[in-house]
Amino acid sequence: MTSYYAQLLVNGIIAGSIYAMFAVGLAMVYGVFKFINFSHGELITWGAYLTWMFSSSPFSLPVYISVVPALLITVGIGLAQDRFVYRPLRQSNPIAILIASIGLSYMLRNGIRLCWGSDLQTFDLPLSTGILLSGIYITKIQILMVLSALLFFSILYFLLTCTLLGKSLRAVSDNIELSAIMGINMTKVTWTIWVLASVFAGTGGILLALDTSLDPMMGMNSLIKAFAAVLLGGAGNVWGALIGGLFIGIAENISVAFISPDYKDFISYGLIFLLLLFKPRGFFGIAGGVR
Amino acid sequence: MDYFYHILIICLIYSIFAQSLNLELGFTGLYNFGHIAFFGIGAYTSALLSLNGVPIPLAVVGAITLAGIAGALLAIPTLRLSGDYFGIATLVFAEMIHLIFLNERDITRGPMGLPNIPRPDWIGSGISSLPLFLAVTFFAATITFILLRRITNSPYGRSLKVIREDEFVAQALGKNTSLIKTKAIVVGSVLAGLAGVIWAHYITYISPADFTLQETILVLLCVVLGGKGTHPGPVVGAFVIIFFAEFIRFIPIPSEYVRFVAPLQGMVYGFILVIMMLKRPQGLISESRKFATTNA
Repeated sequence: MTSYYAQLLVNGIIAGSIYAMFAVGLAMVYGVFKFINFSHGELITWGAYLTWMFSSSPFSLPVYISVVPALLITVGIGLAQDRFVYRPLRQSNPIAILIASIGLSYMLRNGIRLCWGSDLQTFDLPLSTGILLSGIYITKIQILMVLSALLFFSILYFLLTCTLLGKSLRAVSDNIELSAIMGINMTKVTWTIWVLASVFAGTGGILLALDTSLDPMMGMNSLIKAFAAVLLGGAGNVWGALIGGLFIGIAENISVAFISPDYKDFISYGLIFLLLLFKPRGFFGIAGGVR
Repeated sequence: MDYFYHILIICLIYSIFAQSLNLELGFTGLYNFGHIAFFGIGAYTSALLSLNGVPIPLAVVGAITLAGIAGALLAIPTLRLSGDYFGIATLVFAEMIHLIFLNERDITRGPMGLPNIPRPDWIGSGISSLPLFLAVTFFAATITFILLRRITNSPYGRSLKVIREDEFVAQALGKNTSLIKTKAIVVGSVLAGLAGVIWAHYITYISPADFTLQETILVLLCVVLGGKGTHPGPVVGAFVIIFFAEFIRFIPIPSEYVRFVAPLQGMVYGFILVIMMLKRPQGLISESRKFATTNA
Protein backbone atom coordinates (compact mmCIF):
# COMPACT_ATOMS: atom_id res chain seq x y z
CA MET A 1 0.00 0.00 0.00
CA THR A 2 2.88 2.38 0.70
CA SER A 3 4.14 1.71 -2.81
CA TYR A 4 0.75 2.80 -4.13
CA TYR A 5 1.11 6.19 -2.46
CA ALA A 6 4.77 6.38 -3.46
CA GLN A 7 3.69 5.74 -7.03
CA LEU A 8 1.14 8.54 -6.81
CA LEU A 9 3.78 10.85 -5.35
CA VAL A 10 6.18 10.06 -8.20
CA ASN A 11 3.43 10.63 -10.75
CA GLY A 12 2.75 13.93 -9.03
CA ILE A 13 6.36 15.02 -9.24
CA ILE A 14 6.43 14.14 -12.93
CA ALA A 15 3.23 16.06 -13.67
CA GLY A 16 4.33 18.89 -11.38
CA SER A 17 7.65 19.42 -13.12
CA ILE A 18 5.79 19.93 -16.39
CA TYR A 19 3.24 22.28 -14.80
CA ALA A 20 6.17 24.25 -13.37
CA MET A 21 7.64 24.63 -16.86
CA PHE A 22 4.31 25.98 -18.11
CA ALA A 23 3.89 28.26 -15.12
CA VAL A 24 7.29 29.90 -15.25
CA GLY A 25 6.66 31.68 -18.56
CA LEU A 26 3.27 32.85 -17.39
CA ALA A 27 4.80 34.17 -14.17
CA MET A 28 7.59 35.99 -16.01
CA VAL A 29 5.21 37.68 -18.44
CA TYR A 30 2.92 38.66 -15.57
CA GLY A 31 5.87 39.89 -13.52
CA VAL A 32 7.00 42.34 -16.17
CA PHE A 33 4.00 43.25 -18.32
CA LYS A 34 1.30 42.81 -15.63
CA PHE A 35 -1.20 40.89 -17.70
CA ILE A 36 -2.28 37.28 -17.79
CA ASN A 37 -1.32 35.81 -21.10
CA PHE A 38 -4.17 33.50 -22.08
CA SER A 39 -2.39 32.55 -25.29
CA HIS A 40 0.50 31.07 -23.29
CA GLY A 41 -1.23 27.70 -23.52
CA GLU A 42 -1.04 27.81 -27.30
CA LEU A 43 2.77 27.93 -27.16
CA ILE A 44 2.54 24.57 -25.40
CA THR A 45 0.30 23.11 -28.08
CA TRP A 46 2.26 24.53 -31.00
CA GLY A 47 5.56 23.26 -29.61
CA ALA A 48 4.14 19.76 -29.33
CA TYR A 49 2.38 19.72 -32.70
CA LEU A 50 5.38 21.17 -34.58
CA THR A 51 7.66 18.49 -33.14
CA TRP A 52 5.12 15.89 -34.14
CA MET A 53 4.97 17.36 -37.65
CA PHE A 54 8.74 17.33 -38.12
CA SER A 55 9.04 13.81 -36.77
CA SER A 56 6.40 12.31 -39.06
CA SER A 57 6.34 12.17 -42.87
CA PRO A 58 7.30 14.04 -45.06
CA PHE A 59 10.11 15.22 -42.78
CA SER A 60 10.53 12.01 -40.77
CA LEU A 61 13.28 13.44 -38.58
CA PRO A 62 14.16 11.69 -35.34
CA VAL A 63 12.24 13.23 -32.46
CA TYR A 64 15.31 14.72 -30.75
CA ILE A 65 16.25 16.60 -33.94
CA SER A 66 12.74 17.76 -34.78
CA VAL A 67 12.60 19.46 -31.39
CA VAL A 68 15.03 22.10 -32.71
CA PRO A 69 13.00 23.57 -35.61
CA ALA A 70 9.82 23.14 -33.57
CA LEU A 71 11.15 25.21 -30.70
CA LEU A 72 12.52 27.81 -33.10
CA ILE A 73 9.08 28.27 -34.64
CA THR A 74 7.45 28.34 -31.19
CA VAL A 75 9.83 31.10 -30.15
CA GLY A 76 8.91 32.87 -33.38
CA ILE A 77 5.22 32.65 -32.45
CA GLY A 78 5.98 33.95 -28.97
CA LEU A 79 7.93 36.92 -30.31
CA ALA A 80 5.30 37.63 -32.96
CA GLN A 81 2.60 37.71 -30.27
CA ASP A 82 4.51 40.42 -28.51
CA ARG A 83 5.51 42.36 -31.60
CA PHE A 84 2.10 42.50 -33.28
CA VAL A 85 -0.37 42.35 -30.41
CA TYR A 86 1.01 43.00 -26.95
CA ARG A 87 3.49 45.75 -27.73
CA PRO A 88 0.97 47.98 -29.54
CA LEU A 89 -1.44 47.39 -26.64
CA ARG A 90 1.05 48.03 -23.87
CA GLN A 91 -0.30 51.50 -23.11
CA SER A 92 -4.00 50.64 -23.46
CA ASN A 93 -6.33 49.49 -20.71
CA PRO A 94 -5.93 46.02 -19.17
CA ILE A 95 -9.21 44.63 -20.47
CA ALA A 96 -8.13 45.25 -24.06
CA ILE A 97 -4.96 43.20 -23.56
CA LEU A 98 -6.89 40.45 -21.82
CA ILE A 99 -9.51 40.19 -24.56
CA ALA A 100 -6.79 40.35 -27.23
CA SER A 101 -4.91 37.49 -25.56
CA ILE A 102 -8.10 35.41 -25.41
CA GLY A 103 -8.72 36.14 -29.08
CA LEU A 104 -5.14 35.27 -29.95
CA SER A 105 -5.34 32.01 -28.05
CA TYR A 106 -8.56 31.08 -29.84
CA MET A 107 -7.02 31.92 -33.20
CA LEU A 108 -3.87 29.88 -32.58
CA ARG A 109 -5.87 26.93 -31.24
CA ASN A 110 -8.06 26.86 -34.32
CA GLY A 111 -4.88 27.15 -36.38
CA ILE A 112 -3.87 23.79 -34.88
CA ARG A 113 -7.28 22.36 -35.80
CA LEU A 114 -6.96 23.70 -39.32
CA CYS A 115 -3.51 22.19 -39.90
CA TRP A 116 -3.80 18.88 -38.08
CA GLY A 117 -7.46 18.28 -37.26
CA SER A 118 -9.16 17.92 -33.89
CA ASP A 119 -8.43 14.25 -33.26
CA LEU A 120 -5.99 12.86 -30.74
CA GLN A 121 -2.56 12.20 -32.20
CA THR A 122 0.36 10.28 -30.78
CA PHE A 123 4.06 10.18 -31.52
CA ASP A 124 4.99 7.13 -33.54
CA LEU A 125 7.43 5.83 -30.96
CA PRO A 126 8.23 2.25 -30.05
CA LEU A 127 6.22 1.26 -26.97
CA SER A 128 8.12 2.74 -24.07
CA THR A 129 8.73 0.07 -21.51
CA GLY A 130 8.50 1.07 -17.89
CA ILE A 131 11.23 0.53 -15.41
CA LEU A 132 10.35 -0.88 -12.02
CA LEU A 133 12.29 0.91 -9.30
CA SER A 134 11.62 -0.64 -5.89
CA GLY A 135 7.94 -1.05 -6.60
CA ILE A 136 7.49 2.22 -8.49
CA TYR A 137 6.76 2.12 -12.17
CA ILE A 138 8.25 4.88 -14.31
CA THR A 139 8.90 5.23 -18.05
CA LYS A 140 12.04 6.62 -19.69
CA ILE A 141 10.11 9.60 -21.00
CA GLN A 142 8.92 10.42 -17.51
CA ILE A 143 12.52 10.36 -16.27
CA LEU A 144 13.38 12.65 -19.17
CA MET A 145 10.57 15.00 -18.11
CA VAL A 146 11.90 15.40 -14.60
CA LEU A 147 15.51 15.71 -15.79
CA SER A 148 14.62 18.37 -18.39
CA ALA A 149 12.72 20.37 -15.81
CA LEU A 150 15.75 20.16 -13.50
CA LEU A 151 18.10 21.19 -16.30
CA PHE A 152 15.92 24.07 -17.48
CA PHE A 153 15.39 25.47 -14.02
CA SER A 154 19.12 25.19 -13.29
CA ILE A 155 19.91 27.14 -16.46
CA LEU A 156 17.27 29.70 -15.52
CA TYR A 157 18.75 30.02 -12.04
CA PHE A 158 22.19 30.56 -13.52
CA LEU A 159 20.83 33.07 -16.02
CA LEU A 160 18.94 35.09 -13.41
CA THR A 161 21.64 35.16 -10.75
CA CYS A 162 24.99 35.07 -12.57
CA THR A 163 24.53 37.16 -15.71
CA LEU A 164 24.00 40.84 -16.36
CA LEU A 165 20.96 39.97 -18.50
CA GLY A 166 19.45 38.13 -15.56
CA LYS A 167 20.09 41.07 -13.32
CA SER A 168 18.30 43.40 -15.72
CA LEU A 169 15.42 40.90 -15.97
CA ARG A 170 15.00 40.96 -12.23
CA ALA A 171 15.27 44.73 -12.16
CA VAL A 172 12.61 45.12 -14.84
CA SER A 173 10.17 42.83 -13.09
CA ASP A 174 10.73 44.81 -9.93
CA ASN A 175 10.04 48.21 -11.48
CA ILE A 176 9.74 48.58 -15.21
CA GLU A 177 9.82 52.38 -15.38
CA LEU A 178 12.78 52.83 -13.07
CA SER A 179 14.72 50.18 -14.99
CA ALA A 180 14.08 51.98 -18.27
CA ILE A 181 15.28 55.24 -16.69
CA MET A 182 18.44 53.51 -15.49
CA GLY A 183 19.24 52.65 -19.10
CA ILE A 184 18.40 48.97 -19.18
CA ASN A 185 17.84 47.82 -22.73
CA MET A 186 14.10 47.13 -22.68
CA THR A 187 13.97 45.55 -26.12
CA LYS A 188 16.55 42.97 -25.11
CA VAL A 189 14.75 42.21 -21.86
CA THR A 190 11.38 41.90 -23.61
CA TRP A 191 12.84 39.52 -26.18
CA THR A 192 14.49 37.44 -23.49
CA ILE A 193 11.25 37.07 -21.57
CA TRP A 194 9.29 35.91 -24.61
CA VAL A 195 12.07 33.56 -25.74
CA LEU A 196 12.26 32.02 -22.26
CA ALA A 197 8.49 31.75 -21.96
CA SER A 198 8.20 30.13 -25.39
CA VAL A 199 11.08 27.68 -24.87
CA PHE A 200 9.80 26.56 -21.47
CA ALA A 201 6.23 26.22 -22.71
CA GLY A 202 7.23 24.52 -25.97
CA THR A 203 9.57 22.03 -24.30
CA GLY A 204 7.00 21.25 -21.64
CA GLY A 205 4.40 20.70 -24.34
CA ILE A 206 6.68 18.34 -26.28
CA LEU A 207 7.44 16.28 -23.18
CA LEU A 208 3.78 16.14 -22.21
CA ALA A 209 2.86 15.03 -25.73
CA LEU A 210 5.58 12.34 -25.70
CA ASP A 211 4.23 11.02 -22.42
CA THR A 212 0.54 11.17 -23.32
CA SER A 213 -0.88 12.41 -26.60
CA LEU A 214 -1.51 15.54 -28.64
CA ASP A 215 -4.83 17.30 -28.91
CA PRO A 216 -5.70 20.92 -29.68
CA MET A 217 -7.03 21.50 -26.15
CA MET A 218 -3.89 20.31 -24.36
CA GLY A 219 -2.56 23.84 -24.01
CA MET A 220 -5.77 25.29 -22.61
CA ASN A 221 -6.13 22.47 -20.08
CA SER A 222 -2.54 22.86 -18.94
CA LEU A 223 -2.88 26.61 -18.80
CA ILE A 224 -5.45 26.41 -16.00
CA LYS A 225 -3.02 24.26 -14.01
CA ALA A 226 -0.31 26.79 -14.71
CA PHE A 227 -2.59 29.60 -13.48
CA ALA A 228 -3.08 27.69 -10.26
CA ALA A 229 0.67 27.20 -9.93
CA VAL A 230 1.36 30.88 -10.55
CA LEU A 231 -1.28 31.92 -8.02
CA LEU A 232 0.11 29.51 -5.46
CA GLY A 233 3.63 30.79 -5.92
CA GLY A 234 2.62 34.43 -6.08
CA ALA A 235 2.16 36.19 -9.39
CA GLY A 236 5.38 37.28 -11.01
CA ASN A 237 7.54 34.98 -8.91
CA VAL A 238 9.57 32.46 -10.94
CA TRP A 239 10.59 30.22 -8.03
CA GLY A 240 7.11 30.38 -6.60
CA ALA A 241 5.88 29.07 -9.93
CA LEU A 242 8.26 26.10 -9.68
CA ILE A 243 7.08 25.17 -6.21
CA GLY A 244 3.46 25.91 -7.10
CA GLY A 245 3.67 23.64 -10.15
CA LEU A 246 5.15 20.77 -8.14
CA PHE A 247 2.56 21.21 -5.42
CA ILE A 248 -0.34 21.11 -7.85
CA GLY A 249 1.04 18.07 -9.65
CA ILE A 250 1.46 16.18 -6.38
CA ALA A 251 -1.87 17.29 -4.90
CA GLU A 252 -3.70 16.25 -8.05
CA ASN A 253 -2.15 12.82 -8.24
CA ILE A 254 -2.48 12.05 -4.55
CA SER A 255 -6.14 13.09 -4.76
CA VAL A 256 -6.80 10.15 -7.09
CA ALA A 257 -6.56 7.93 -4.02
CA PHE A 258 -9.48 9.73 -2.41
CA ILE A 259 -11.79 11.11 -5.08
CA SER A 260 -13.01 9.98 -8.48
CA PRO A 261 -10.37 10.58 -11.21
CA ASP A 262 -13.12 12.35 -13.20
CA TYR A 263 -12.81 15.20 -10.73
CA LYS A 264 -9.00 15.30 -10.68
CA ASP A 265 -9.06 18.72 -12.32
CA PHE A 266 -11.24 19.99 -9.48
CA ILE A 267 -8.17 20.02 -7.23
CA SER A 268 -6.44 22.76 -9.16
CA TYR A 269 -9.72 24.59 -9.81
CA GLY A 270 -10.68 24.48 -6.15
CA LEU A 271 -7.19 25.52 -5.18
CA ILE A 272 -7.44 28.57 -7.44
CA PHE A 273 -10.63 29.60 -5.66
CA LEU A 274 -9.25 29.04 -2.18
CA LEU A 275 -6.04 30.89 -2.95
CA LEU A 276 -7.83 33.84 -4.50
CA LEU A 277 -10.01 33.99 -1.42
CA PHE A 278 -7.49 33.66 1.34
CA LYS A 279 -4.04 34.24 -0.06
CA PRO A 280 -4.32 36.27 -3.26
CA ARG A 281 -0.63 37.10 -3.23
CA GLY A 282 0.40 33.47 -3.05
CA PHE A 283 2.77 32.02 -0.52
CA PHE A 284 5.85 33.60 -2.03
CA GLY A 285 4.29 36.71 -3.49
CA ILE A 286 6.23 39.87 -4.04
CA ALA A 287 5.36 42.45 -1.43
CA GLY A 288 2.99 45.03 -2.83
CA GLY A 289 2.09 42.88 -5.80
CA VAL A 290 -1.18 43.62 -7.51
CA ARG A 291 -3.90 41.12 -6.90
CA MET B 1 -38.65 31.32 -44.59
CA ASP B 2 -38.59 28.71 -41.83
CA TYR B 3 -34.83 28.81 -41.90
CA PHE B 4 -34.94 32.59 -41.56
CA TYR B 5 -37.15 32.22 -38.47
CA HIS B 6 -34.60 29.81 -37.04
CA ILE B 7 -31.71 32.25 -37.56
CA LEU B 8 -33.71 35.06 -35.99
CA ILE B 9 -34.49 32.96 -32.93
CA ILE B 10 -30.81 32.07 -32.47
CA CYS B 11 -29.85 35.73 -32.96
CA LEU B 12 -32.34 36.84 -30.32
CA ILE B 13 -31.22 34.19 -27.82
CA TYR B 14 -27.64 35.30 -28.31
CA SER B 15 -28.65 38.93 -28.03
CA ILE B 16 -30.17 38.23 -24.57
CA PHE B 17 -27.02 36.36 -23.61
CA ALA B 18 -24.73 39.10 -24.93
CA GLN B 19 -26.74 41.85 -23.26
CA SER B 20 -26.46 40.07 -19.92
CA LEU B 21 -22.69 39.86 -20.33
CA ASN B 22 -22.61 43.51 -21.36
CA LEU B 23 -24.09 44.53 -18.02
CA GLU B 24 -21.07 42.98 -16.30
CA LEU B 25 -18.31 43.51 -18.86
CA GLY B 26 -19.42 46.72 -20.52
CA PHE B 27 -21.12 48.67 -17.77
CA THR B 28 -19.43 47.39 -14.61
CA GLY B 29 -16.03 46.46 -16.03
CA LEU B 30 -16.09 42.93 -14.62
CA TYR B 31 -14.16 40.63 -16.96
CA ASN B 32 -16.46 37.65 -16.73
CA PHE B 33 -14.94 34.87 -18.83
CA GLY B 34 -17.22 32.19 -17.47
CA HIS B 35 -20.59 33.59 -18.41
CA ILE B 36 -21.47 30.42 -20.29
CA ALA B 37 -21.76 28.67 -16.90
CA PHE B 38 -24.98 30.56 -16.13
CA PHE B 39 -26.35 29.92 -19.60
CA GLY B 40 -25.62 26.24 -18.95
CA ILE B 41 -27.11 26.25 -15.45
CA GLY B 42 -30.29 27.81 -16.83
CA ALA B 43 -30.49 25.33 -19.69
CA TYR B 44 -29.78 22.23 -17.60
CA THR B 45 -32.03 23.16 -14.70
CA SER B 46 -35.02 23.96 -16.87
CA ALA B 47 -34.47 20.87 -19.00
CA LEU B 48 -34.07 18.54 -16.03
CA LEU B 49 -37.05 19.95 -14.18
CA SER B 50 -39.39 19.82 -17.17
CA LEU B 51 -38.17 16.34 -18.14
CA ASN B 52 -39.08 15.19 -14.65
CA GLY B 53 -42.63 16.42 -14.96
CA VAL B 54 -42.44 19.88 -13.45
CA PRO B 55 -44.70 22.29 -15.38
CA ILE B 56 -42.61 24.34 -17.80
CA PRO B 57 -43.37 27.82 -16.39
CA LEU B 58 -42.30 26.58 -12.97
CA ALA B 59 -39.16 24.98 -14.47
CA VAL B 60 -38.27 28.26 -16.15
CA VAL B 61 -38.66 30.22 -12.92
CA GLY B 62 -36.64 27.58 -11.06
CA ALA B 63 -33.89 27.70 -13.66
CA ILE B 64 -33.41 31.46 -13.69
CA THR B 65 -33.60 31.55 -9.89
CA LEU B 66 -30.87 28.93 -9.65
CA ALA B 67 -28.75 30.85 -12.18
CA GLY B 68 -29.15 33.96 -10.02
CA ILE B 69 -28.22 32.08 -6.85
CA ALA B 70 -25.17 30.63 -8.61
CA GLY B 71 -24.23 34.16 -9.66
CA ALA B 72 -24.48 35.39 -6.08
CA LEU B 73 -22.45 32.44 -4.84
CA LEU B 74 -19.76 33.15 -7.41
CA ALA B 75 -19.83 36.87 -6.66
CA ILE B 76 -19.24 36.56 -2.92
CA PRO B 77 -15.76 35.03 -3.06
CA THR B 78 -14.57 36.59 -6.30
CA LEU B 79 -15.63 40.20 -6.05
CA ARG B 80 -12.77 41.16 -3.81
CA LEU B 81 -10.51 40.32 -6.72
CA SER B 82 -9.62 42.92 -9.23
CA GLY B 83 -9.44 42.74 -12.99
CA ASP B 84 -7.66 39.79 -14.47
CA TYR B 85 -7.90 37.69 -11.30
CA PHE B 86 -11.67 37.90 -11.50
CA GLY B 87 -11.31 36.76 -15.11
CA ILE B 88 -9.40 33.64 -14.07
CA ALA B 89 -11.83 32.83 -11.27
CA THR B 90 -14.83 33.03 -13.60
CA LEU B 91 -13.09 31.01 -16.30
CA VAL B 92 -12.33 28.32 -13.74
CA PHE B 93 -15.89 28.45 -12.44
CA ALA B 94 -17.19 27.74 -15.96
CA GLU B 95 -14.79 24.81 -16.28
CA MET B 96 -16.01 23.41 -12.96
CA ILE B 97 -19.65 23.66 -14.04
CA HIS B 98 -18.74 22.00 -17.33
CA LEU B 99 -17.07 19.13 -15.44
CA ILE B 100 -20.16 18.69 -13.28
CA PHE B 101 -22.41 18.49 -16.36
CA LEU B 102 -20.01 15.95 -17.82
CA ASN B 103 -19.45 13.74 -14.80
CA GLU B 104 -22.70 13.68 -12.80
CA ARG B 105 -24.02 11.01 -15.14
CA ASP B 106 -26.86 9.96 -12.83
CA ILE B 107 -28.42 13.39 -13.18
CA THR B 108 -27.22 14.90 -16.44
CA ARG B 109 -26.56 11.72 -18.44
CA GLY B 110 -23.01 13.01 -18.92
CA PRO B 111 -21.70 13.41 -22.48
CA MET B 112 -24.85 11.84 -23.95
CA GLY B 113 -26.82 14.94 -23.06
CA LEU B 114 -30.52 15.43 -22.50
CA PRO B 115 -32.78 14.79 -25.52
CA ASN B 116 -36.51 15.48 -25.98
CA ILE B 117 -36.75 18.54 -23.78
CA PRO B 118 -40.47 19.41 -23.78
CA ARG B 119 -41.94 22.69 -24.96
CA PRO B 120 -45.10 24.36 -23.68
CA ASP B 121 -48.20 22.89 -25.37
CA TRP B 122 -49.40 26.25 -26.66
CA ILE B 123 -46.16 26.70 -28.62
CA GLY B 124 -46.06 23.16 -29.92
CA SER B 125 -43.18 21.58 -31.77
CA GLY B 126 -41.94 21.21 -35.31
CA ILE B 127 -41.71 23.77 -38.09
CA SER B 128 -45.22 25.16 -37.54
CA SER B 129 -44.24 26.38 -34.07
CA LEU B 130 -41.40 28.59 -35.33
CA PRO B 131 -43.29 31.92 -35.68
CA LEU B 132 -44.78 31.57 -32.20
CA PHE B 133 -41.41 30.65 -30.69
CA LEU B 134 -39.90 33.63 -32.47
CA ALA B 135 -42.55 35.86 -30.91
CA VAL B 136 -41.81 34.52 -27.43
CA THR B 137 -38.06 34.97 -27.89
CA PHE B 138 -38.57 38.45 -29.27
CA PHE B 139 -40.69 39.30 -26.24
CA ALA B 140 -37.95 38.03 -23.89
CA ALA B 141 -35.25 39.94 -25.76
CA THR B 142 -37.29 43.14 -25.68
CA ILE B 143 -37.96 42.78 -21.96
CA THR B 144 -34.23 42.22 -21.41
CA PHE B 145 -33.37 45.28 -23.47
CA ILE B 146 -35.83 47.55 -21.64
CA LEU B 147 -34.87 46.17 -18.25
CA LEU B 148 -31.16 46.70 -18.83
CA ARG B 149 -31.78 50.14 -20.25
CA ARG B 150 -33.71 51.12 -17.14
CA ILE B 151 -31.10 49.63 -14.83
CA THR B 152 -28.14 51.29 -16.48
CA ASN B 153 -29.80 54.69 -16.90
CA SER B 154 -30.76 54.80 -13.23
CA PRO B 155 -28.56 56.20 -10.46
CA TYR B 156 -27.59 52.60 -9.78
CA GLY B 157 -26.38 52.32 -13.39
CA ARG B 158 -24.26 55.42 -12.96
CA SER B 159 -22.60 53.93 -9.90
CA LEU B 160 -21.82 50.84 -11.99
CA LYS B 161 -19.98 53.07 -14.46
CA VAL B 162 -18.11 54.84 -11.69
CA ILE B 163 -16.97 51.45 -10.39
CA ARG B 164 -15.81 50.57 -13.88
CA GLU B 165 -13.84 53.77 -14.24
CA ASP B 166 -12.37 53.87 -10.75
CA GLU B 167 -13.52 51.68 -7.91
CA PHE B 168 -11.71 53.69 -5.27
CA VAL B 169 -13.58 56.83 -6.29
CA ALA B 170 -16.87 54.95 -5.93
CA GLN B 171 -15.84 53.80 -2.46
CA ALA B 172 -14.74 57.29 -1.51
CA LEU B 173 -18.16 58.56 -2.59
CA GLY B 174 -19.71 56.20 -0.08
CA LYS B 175 -20.90 53.49 -2.43
CA ASN B 176 -21.02 49.91 -1.23
CA THR B 177 -19.15 48.63 -4.26
CA SER B 178 -19.30 44.92 -3.38
CA LEU B 179 -23.07 45.02 -3.04
CA ILE B 180 -23.48 46.97 -6.26
CA LYS B 181 -21.25 44.57 -8.16
CA THR B 182 -22.98 41.54 -6.64
CA LYS B 183 -26.34 42.86 -7.83
CA ALA B 184 -24.93 43.38 -11.32
CA ILE B 185 -23.64 39.81 -11.41
CA VAL B 186 -26.93 38.40 -10.14
CA VAL B 187 -28.95 40.29 -12.77
CA GLY B 188 -26.43 39.27 -15.45
CA SER B 189 -26.62 35.64 -14.35
CA VAL B 190 -30.42 35.60 -14.24
CA LEU B 191 -30.61 36.96 -17.79
CA ALA B 192 -27.92 34.56 -19.01
CA GLY B 193 -29.95 31.78 -17.37
CA LEU B 194 -33.04 33.01 -19.22
CA ALA B 195 -31.15 32.84 -22.52
CA GLY B 196 -30.06 29.30 -21.62
CA VAL B 197 -33.64 28.28 -20.78
CA ILE B 198 -34.95 29.52 -24.14
CA TRP B 199 -32.06 27.80 -25.89
CA ALA B 200 -32.74 24.45 -24.17
CA HIS B 201 -36.46 24.47 -24.99
CA TYR B 202 -35.83 25.65 -28.53
CA ILE B 203 -33.09 23.18 -29.53
CA THR B 204 -34.73 20.47 -27.30
CA TYR B 205 -31.39 18.71 -26.91
CA ILE B 206 -28.48 19.85 -24.74
CA SER B 207 -25.14 18.27 -23.91
CA PRO B 208 -22.06 19.48 -22.00
CA ALA B 209 -20.35 20.23 -25.33
CA ASP B 210 -22.75 23.17 -25.82
CA PHE B 211 -21.37 24.99 -22.78
CA THR B 212 -17.64 25.38 -23.29
CA LEU B 213 -15.07 28.11 -23.69
CA GLN B 214 -16.02 28.21 -27.37
CA GLU B 215 -19.41 29.76 -26.55
CA THR B 216 -17.82 32.15 -24.07
CA ILE B 217 -15.59 33.43 -26.86
CA LEU B 218 -18.58 33.74 -29.17
CA VAL B 219 -20.62 35.83 -26.73
CA LEU B 220 -17.57 37.89 -25.79
CA LEU B 221 -17.13 38.59 -29.48
CA CYS B 222 -20.78 39.68 -29.78
CA VAL B 223 -20.32 42.21 -26.97
CA VAL B 224 -16.91 43.49 -28.03
CA LEU B 225 -17.75 43.72 -31.72
CA GLY B 226 -21.07 45.45 -31.18
CA GLY B 227 -19.74 47.87 -28.60
CA LYS B 228 -19.46 47.19 -24.90
CA GLY B 229 -21.15 49.60 -22.56
CA THR B 230 -23.85 50.54 -25.08
CA HIS B 231 -27.46 49.36 -25.21
CA PRO B 232 -27.76 48.36 -28.88
CA GLY B 233 -24.12 47.17 -29.13
CA PRO B 234 -24.50 43.55 -27.97
CA VAL B 235 -27.70 43.13 -30.00
CA VAL B 236 -25.99 44.36 -33.15
CA GLY B 237 -22.97 42.19 -32.35
CA ALA B 238 -25.11 39.10 -31.89
CA PHE B 239 -26.95 39.63 -35.17
CA VAL B 240 -23.71 40.27 -37.10
CA ILE B 241 -21.93 37.24 -35.66
CA ILE B 242 -24.83 34.77 -35.99
CA PHE B 243 -25.70 35.92 -39.51
CA PHE B 244 -22.04 35.61 -40.46
CA ALA B 245 -21.89 32.09 -39.03
CA GLU B 246 -25.08 31.03 -40.82
CA PHE B 247 -24.08 32.76 -44.06
CA ILE B 248 -20.95 30.58 -44.26
CA ARG B 249 -23.17 27.51 -44.63
CA PHE B 250 -24.40 28.75 -47.97
CA ILE B 251 -20.99 29.12 -49.53
CA PRO B 252 -20.59 26.10 -51.82
CA ILE B 253 -17.55 24.30 -50.42
CA PRO B 254 -16.22 21.09 -51.98
CA SER B 255 -16.82 18.26 -49.53
CA GLU B 256 -13.12 17.49 -49.05
CA TYR B 257 -12.63 20.98 -47.62
CA VAL B 258 -15.65 21.01 -45.30
CA ARG B 259 -13.58 19.98 -42.29
CA PHE B 260 -11.56 23.18 -42.65
CA VAL B 261 -14.58 25.46 -42.27
CA ALA B 262 -15.08 25.30 -38.50
CA PRO B 263 -11.41 25.92 -37.57
CA LEU B 264 -11.20 28.74 -40.12
CA GLN B 265 -14.31 30.30 -38.65
CA GLY B 266 -12.73 30.05 -35.20
CA MET B 267 -9.54 31.66 -36.46
CA VAL B 268 -11.57 34.51 -37.96
CA TYR B 269 -13.40 35.04 -34.63
CA GLY B 270 -10.11 35.12 -32.73
CA PHE B 271 -8.58 37.41 -35.32
CA ILE B 272 -11.54 39.82 -35.14
CA LEU B 273 -11.18 39.99 -31.34
CA VAL B 274 -7.48 40.85 -31.65
CA ILE B 275 -8.01 43.38 -34.43
CA MET B 276 -10.90 45.02 -32.59
CA MET B 277 -8.71 45.47 -29.54
CA LEU B 278 -5.90 46.92 -31.64
CA LYS B 279 -7.88 49.16 -33.96
CA ARG B 280 -11.32 49.81 -32.49
CA PRO B 281 -11.55 48.72 -28.85
CA GLN B 282 -14.87 50.54 -28.40
CA GLY B 283 -16.66 48.33 -30.96
CA LEU B 284 -18.94 49.16 -33.88
CA ILE B 285 -21.11 51.42 -31.74
CA SER B 286 -19.06 53.50 -29.35
CA GLU B 287 -20.25 54.56 -25.95
CA SER B 288 -21.10 58.20 -25.51
CA ARG B 289 -18.56 59.65 -23.08
CA LYS B 290 -20.19 63.01 -22.48
CA PHE B 291 -20.07 62.55 -18.72
CA ALA B 292 -16.48 61.45 -18.81
CA THR B 293 -15.16 64.46 -20.68
CA THR B 294 -16.81 67.25 -18.70
CA ASN B 295 -15.02 66.48 -15.47
CA ALA B 296 -11.73 65.37 -17.02
